Amino acid sequence: MSTLRPFRATDLFKFNNINLDVWTETYGIAFYLSYLARWPDLCCVQEAPTGRMMGYVIGKAEGSTTDFHGHVTAITVAPEYRRLSLGRKMMDLLERVSDEAYNGFFVDLYVRCTNDIAIGILGLGPGGKDEEDAFDMRKPLSRDPMRRTVRANGRDMIVSAHDVS
Amino acid sequence: MSAAFDRQIRPIYDDIDTGSNKSAILACNKLLKKYPKSDLSLKALALVRSQKVEESLALCDEVLAAKPMDDPTLTAMMHVLRGLGRHADMVSMFEEAYKRQPTNEDLGMQYFFALVRTGNWKGGQLLSTKLNKQFREARYIYWSAMCCVLQANDPATPANMRELLYKLAQRHVSSVWKEDDSSADRFHLYASILQELKLSEEVKKLLESELGQVVCSRNLTCDELRRDIYKANSWFTEEGATAQKRIEERKDRNWLEFLSVLDATFAPLTGSESASDEAKAECSERVARVLELFNKLAEADGQADRSAPLALLELEKRLWAHGLSTEPSRLVDLLQQYLEQFGDKAAAYEDLKPYVALEGDDLARWTSHLESLPHATSSHKELQRTINAQKLLRYNLQDADLTVEKEAPRAVQLIEEYLAALALGKDLPKTELQPADDLVILAAHVFVNMYALSKDEAHLHNAIVILEFASKRSPKSYQIHLLLVRVYRLLGAPQLGLEHYRLLNAKSIQNDTLSHFVLSRASTFSLAASGDLTYASECLESSQIYMSNSQETSDFIVRAFSTERYSQIPDFITFEDRLDNSLQRDLVKIEHVRMRLSHEVINSELADMELIELKFIFDRLHHDNRDSTIVPNYQPRASESFVEQTKLFATEPGFGWLNVFLKIYIRAFQQASDLDDTVEEKLLIGDRPKQSIIASSGTPLLERLAVRIPEETEELTQDEKTFFDYATDLSNWLGPYHDHTRPPPAAVLAEAARQSELKTGRPLRGIDIPAGNGHANGSAKKAEDAPVVTEPPSSLASFFDLMQARFKAVVEAGNQINELLHVATMTQEALLLFSLSTLRFKNATVVKVNRLGALVQSFKPIRAKGIEVLKEIAAELVKIAEQEITAEKRKAFVQNCKVLEATSEIDHDYILDVAKKTTDGRKKVLEGVGKGIKRIYTNHSS
Ligand SMILES: CC(C)(COP(=O)(O)OP(=O)(O)OC[C@H]1O[C@@H](n2cnc3c(N)ncnc32)[C@H](O)[C@@H]1OP(=O)(O)O)[C@@H](O)C(=O)NCCC(=O)NCCS
Repeated sequence: MSTLRPFRATDLFKFNNINLDVWTETYGIAFYLSYLARWPDLCCVQEAPTGRMMGYVIGKAEGSTTDFHGHVTAITVAPEYRRLSLGRKMMDLLERVSDEAYNGFFVDLYVRCTNDIAIGILGLGPGGKDEEDAFDMRKPLSRDPMRRTVRANGRDMIVSAHDVS
Repeated sequence: MSAAFDRQIRPIYDDIDTGSNKSAILACNKLLKKYPKSDLSLKALALVRSQKVEESLALCDEVLAAKPMDDPTLTAMMHVLRGLGRHADMVSMFEEAYKRQPTNEDLGMQYFFALVRTGNWKGGQLLSTKLNKQFREARYIYWSAMCCVLQANDPATPANMRELLYKLAQRHVSSVWKEDDSSADRFHLYASILQELKLSEEVKKLLESELGQVVCSRNLTCDELRRDIYKANSWFTEEGATAQKRIEERKDRNWLEFLSVLDATFAPLTGSESASDEAKAECSERVARVLELFNKLAEADGQADRSAPLALLELEKRLWAHGLSTEPSRLVDLLQQYLEQFGDKAAAYEDLKPYVALEGDDLARWTSHLESLPHATSSHKELQRTINAQKLLRYNLQDADLTVEKEAPRAVQLIEEYLAALALGKDLPKTELQPADDLVILAAHVFVNMYALSKDEAHLHNAIVILEFASKRSPKSYQIHLLLVRVYRLLGAPQLGLEHYRLLNAKSIQNDTLSHFVLSRASTFSLAASGDLTYASECLESSQIYMSNSQETSDFIVRAFSTERYSQIPDFITFEDRLDNSLQRDLVKIEHVRMRLSHEVINSELADMELIELKFIFDRLHHDNRDSTIVPNYQPRASESFVEQTKLFATEPGFGWLNVFLKIYIRAFQQASDLDDTVEEKLLIGDRPKQSIIASSGTPLLERLAVRIPEETEELTQDEKTFFDYATDLSNWLGPYHDHTRPPPAAVLAEAARQSELKTGRPLRGIDIPAGNGHANGSAKKAEDAPVVTEPPSSLASFFDLMQARFKAVVEAGNQINELLHVATMTQEALLLFSLSTLRFKNATVVKVNRLGALVQSFKPIRAKGIEVLKEIAAELVKIAEQEITAEKRKAFVQNCKVLEATSEIDHDYILDVAKKTTDGRKKVLEGVGKGIKRIYTNHSS
C-alpha cells in the first residue's frame, strides 16, 4: 500500500531514507527545483501511510517533432520497499502523463540500471541482457501506434556511464 | 556601445565566468583607462567575486548613482548586487530603468523579478497589473493574482487583509479565465483561490468542468488539491464514489483512493457526537458493501498488491474505533493472513505496525502465533519472515519482559541467527546490503535497551562490536553507520562516530537534515583549543548549503513565475524559508562560535562580526528540519526509542537551547564591541533580513535578551544552567561600565570611514561625521559620571568552585567520559566568556580615563580562581586519558563482550581490536581537551 503524490520542494527535507542508498545520487538544490519549476507533473513520490517516503521519480519532457518524449532522469525506491511494484507504478504514471498531457511519442529510461530492471519497470516483458551499465530504452505511447520511434536495436543500446545525464 | 568596446569587453565576461577574477580586474582597468565612462559595473562584479567587498561597494554606488539603463550594465550589476546581498538596490535600479523606458517589456519583467526576489508581493502585484495594461498578456494577470495570494499568506499581513487579497485575486483570475486555454497550474491557482474564499458552489463547478476532470486525471498536484477540497467541504460520499471508480475501472491502487472509500463508508457517523440509529444503519450497509469490494479486490490482486488486504485491516480498525466491530477475533485473523501473504516483504512490519498495538487475549493470541512461526535463514524469503516475526514480537514486549536478564538471551539469539543468515549473502558484492542486516540491527537495539535499563556501558561495548562486525559485511548500510554514530558519541569516542558519519557521504541539503548527528553540542568534543580544527571545519562545510540556498532558490521562484508553475511557488518559498531559518543552521553557528573563541585571539573585530550575525539569528523564526526518523527504531512500544535512549546528556538542543546561548553570546559580544544599533545600521553591507514577527513585536532587543523563559532553560543540562547563571551575573555586573566607556557612535563611524577610505580610496557612502567628534578613544561622557565600582557578585568565583566539585563528583562516580568532558568544557567556556566580557578594560587608557582601576583589580581573583580550577581539571583529564589505554581497560572491554565470543566468527582478537580503537578514541578526546584547556588558561592568564 502506498500513496502516489506529487514531489514537492520540501520533500528534500525527508528523502534521506531513499537517498542514503548508494545507488541514489543527491544533487544540489538547483537540480530538483529546476525540474519542479518546469515539469512538476513528471515528478512524483510514493509514500507510506506513515508519511515515510518510499521512492520517487523525476522526469522531463524533451525533444522536437517526432522525437518529443517523456524522459526519466531519476527513478529510485528505498531498498526496504523494492519489488513491491512501486517503480512500475511510477513509470505507469509518467507514461500516462507523457502521453495525455504532453502528447509525446514515447518515454525513455536513460539511467544506470540493469536491463532486467528497466524492462521490468517499463513493463516491456522479459529481457535478455544483464550488464550493469547505463542504457537507453524506449517505450512507445499512443501517439506512435506504428512504433516508429522504437529503435530496432533498442535493448542493445548500451550507453556508457558518463553520457548519462 | 561601440563594436570595438564590445569586442574588448567579452573576454572580461569570460574571465569572470571562469573565475579568473584577477585577470578580469586587470583587463577592466585597462579598458577603463581608454573609456573612462565605461562599465565600472563589470569591475565591481569581478571585485565581488574575488571577495573584495568594500572596494566593490564603492564602485557599485558610483554606477547606481548614474542610473544605468543599458542591458550589459544592468546584467552585471544584477550579479554584483546579488553577490552583496543588496536586493533592495536591485529593485530600485530596475524600477528606475523601467520608469525611463516604460515600453521595454523585458525591463518590466526584470523589475518584477527583482520584486519577487525580495518577497515584495504587494509591489509585484501592482507592477504586474501595470504590465498587463501596457502589454496585454493574460499571464501578467495571473502573476498579479499569485502575488495577492502570496501577500495574503505572508505572516506579516494582518488577518483582516487576507480575505480582501483573495477577493482581489479572484477578481483578477475570473477576468481572464478561459477554460479552453488554461493550463493545469492556472487551474490550480484558480481553484485554490475559490476554495480559500469558501465559494463551494463555484469551486465544485470548476472541479467538475471538463477541464477540471481532465486536469485532475493527469496532474497529481491538481488531483491532490481536488481531494483536499472535497474533504474540506465534507463531500465524502461523492469523493468515495470517484475513488471506487478509479480503483475498479482504472485499477488504481493509490492508497489515497482506499482512504477516500473508507472515509465515505463512515461518513454517516461523522459530525455528530452520538449517531442516530438511522445513520448507524446506513453506515452498516456501506460497511457490508465495502467489505465485499475489498475482499473481491484482495482475491483478484493476490500477491501482486498489498492495498486491498491492508484496506481490510484499516476497515476493521475503524470499526473498532466506532464500536461497530462484530467479530472480536477478526483483527488478529486479518493480521495473521496478512503476515502469511506478505511476510516475506521487508515492508510487512511497517505495514502492520499501526494495527498490532493489541491488548489482552488478542495480544496473547497474536504473540503465540508469532512465536509459533519457524525461524529459518535458508532463503531470502524465509529470512525476511524471521526478521518480521522478530520485529513484531519485540514491538509488543511489556515492561515485565524488559529486564537486563530477559533481554540478554534475545541478543544472543539474534546474533546467532544473524551469523547463520550471512551465508545467504556471502557472494554479494560489497556495494549490496546484506539481507541479514536487520537481525544485527535488532541485536544492537537489545544491547542499547540493556544499557538504558542499567546504565552499564558494557552493553554499549557489545553493541559496538557487533555493529562494527556487521558494517564490514555490509559497508553501505547507512542504518548501521548511524547506529554506530549514536553509540560512539554516547561512549565518548566521537571521532569514531564522525568517521562513520562521513561514510554516509551526506551532500547538499542532507547537511541540514543530518549534520545534527555529529554536530549537536560538538564543542564538547572539539579540540580546536589545541589546534585540531576538525569540528570547526565540519561546521563550516555543513553550512555551505545555506549559502547556495540564499543564492539559488530565489532563481527558481522567479523561474516558476516565468514558466507559470504557480502550484510550485508557495512550496519553493516554504522550502527557502525553512532552510534559511533552519534551527540546525544556527545551532551549528553557535557551536562554531564556541569553538572559535577557544582557538582564536579574542578581539573587537571578532566581537563585531559575530555580534551582527547573532543578532540577526536571534530575530529569526526557526524551523526544525533535523531528521531523526532516519535512525531505525525497533524498541518495544513500552520503551523509549533508540534515538531517545542514545541522546547525549539525555537532552537534545532545540529552540530554547539556541535562544539561551544566543542571549549569552549576544550580551557578551555587545559588551566587547563598539557597534551599537545606529552604527550597525550604517555599516551594514547587504540588506537587513526581512523583519520577523519576533523582531517587530515591539519589545526592544535588550529587554528580550534579559528575560529568562523557563521552557528555554529546561533544554539545558545542569552544567549549562549553572553556566547560564554565571553568564547572566557577569554581564549584569559589567553592563554599566561598558555602557559608560563605549565610544559614542559618531566616533566609531568616523573610525570606520577612515579605515574604509584607507582601503578603497573613496569615502564611505551615507556617512557624514559631525566635526570635532572624530577621536575614537574619547568618551562623550564625563569621567565623574562613571558608575561606582562595585564588588563582583560572589557567584562568579563560586561558579568555578561549583564546577570543581562537579568534576570531582563525576570522576568519583566512575568514568562517564561525556560528563567529564562536558563539565570541563563548560568551565573552560566560562573563562573564555570572562575574557570576552572584560576585553574593553584591557586598554589601559580606557581604564585610566574612566577611573576604573578598582574594577580591573577585582577581575584578578576571579580569573585566578578559574585558572586554578581549570589547571586541576586539565591535569586530571590527561591522567584519565592515560588510564584509558591501559591493558586492563582493554581486557575489561573484552571481558564485557564474552557472550559474543561464543560465536565462531567474532573471536577474541576481533573484539580486542575494537576495544583498542574505542579506548584510543576516548583517550584522544580526553587528552586533546585536557591539553586545549592548558593552552587556554595559559593564554588567558591576564
Ligand atoms: C530500479 C528500481 C527503481 C526498481 O524499483 P522497484 O519498485 O523495486 O521495481 P518494481 O517492483 O516495480 O519492479 C517491476 C519489475 O521490474 C523488474 N525488476 C525490479 N527489480 C529487479 C531486480 N532487482 N532484478 C530483476 N528484475 C527486477 C521485475 O521484472 C519486476 O517485476 P516483478 O517484481 O513482478 O518480478 C529500484 O530497484 C531502485 O531504486 N534501484 C536503485 C536506484 C537505481 O538504480 N535507479 C536507476 C534504475 S533504472
